[in-house]
Amino acid sequence: MQIELNERDDALLKRSAKGDERAFAELYRRHQPPLYRFAVRMTGSTWAAEEIVQDVFMMLVREPKKFDAERGTLGAFLYGVARNRIMKHLERTPRDFSLDESGEAGRDSHPQLQEQMTPARWAELRERREQVRAAVLELPPEFREAVVLCELEEMSYDEAARSLNCPVGTIRSRLHRGRALLLAKLEMLREVPKRANASR
Amino acid sequence: MKEFAGEMSMNCEEFATAGLDLGATSEDSPLLRAAREHMCECSHCALLHENWLALREELRVLGAETSGAEAPSRVEMRLREEFRAQHKTLPSRRRAIVLTWGLAAAATLVVGITWANRHLHVGQGPSTTSATNVVSPQVAPAAGTNAGEVLVASNNSGDFTFLPDSVPMNSEDATVVHVQMQRAALGALGLTVNEEHAGDWIQVDLLVGDDGLPQAVRLPESGTQTTN
Repeated sequence: MQIELNERDDALLKRSAKGDERAFAELYRRHQPPLYRFAVRMTGSTWAAEEIVQDVFMMLVREPKKFDAERGTLGAFLYGVARNRIMKHLERTPRDFSLDESGEAGRDSHPQLQEQMTPARWAELRERREQVRAAVLELPPEFREAVVLCELEEMSYDEAARSLNCPVGTIRSRLHRGRALLLAKLEMLREVPKRANASR
Repeated sequence: MKEFAGEMSMNCEEFATAGLDLGATSEDSPLLRAAREHMCECSHCALLHENWLALREELRVLGAETSGAEAPSRVEMRLREEFRAQHKTLPSRRRAIVLTWGLAAAATLVVGITWANRHLHVGQGPSTTSATNVVSPQVAPAAGTNAGEVLVASNNSGDFTFLPDSVPMNSEDATVVHVQMQRAALGALGLTVNEEHAGDWIQVDLLVGDDGLPQAVRLPESGTQTTN
């Protein structure tokens, strides 16, 4: 059976529920990348993100009727399921800052940038990036997801609100709190070397 | 937020909430204009904004690092395997369920029919008039009697002669029907008839089986005489 690129998710899901494997594969390819990125950025772990994405789609295979098209889009539904899995993961596992894990595709995403830098500058930038990543991962989950969606995934407030199934005002306020916490954390980190130099 | 001559003014707290969106969007709302004005007047908020822009850039770099990240292909393989397994077992499970229900319905039907038949027999009793309907086409009214009163049934089954091609059966299931008929009608039951007396009316006892067909015949003495 032919699959059109603009075929609606709910139509694909109906076909998938009837056993059309290609329809399921198309749904997976459409929704897996943002869900995986969201999970990686929220957990800081690629293996956890892999498990979470697998769980989410396994649910879609086994219980496709859980999705109700009248209550929202399939994307928002899957984000909601992924979000629940992520929260469970964060509750039962100690924070895991596997900072070297940036995903299979993320590892060499800026080769031209790497070539232009001196080793010292590269090390400095890398350290700074790890600090930022750690600061994001240290945010409380509800602020973290707002920062991840709006700042890392660069979603609009409306899109983030739809994905998390909450009002835009909630996104705004969580983002505001998240930004403030990030600034406080990173400004404090920036001050550490200065204070150390001053004390010498 | 205060409004002076149609323009809004912002304090530091309000700037921290709304002012950080400056630069993130190209729209020029009154809120952002007020934030921009506040930033010009307040060095603390200007520094906050500057720090935020630097952090936003770092967040973008961090986001770009994983912007192309996708789940490894093994996840899709596992899911497809699960999908196939799920949809392979589903039809066979459905078929088994349908078969089970079909068998259950058939069993219920058989039990119901058996029970109804047994119930009907008990209700019929030793002699019923329903037996008369089976043989009614062959019945002729006796002289001096009404047509509805011709047939009388009983279960006395002694001295019967089985009709040709009939299978001997349990006499308890049979009903004896007394009928008056023309002798010629015995021919239809496979018996030989004396043509000279074919038009005579005789009294005959028929042993009618469970299926409503006559199994055996008995000619009382008067009938026997006329047959010979």
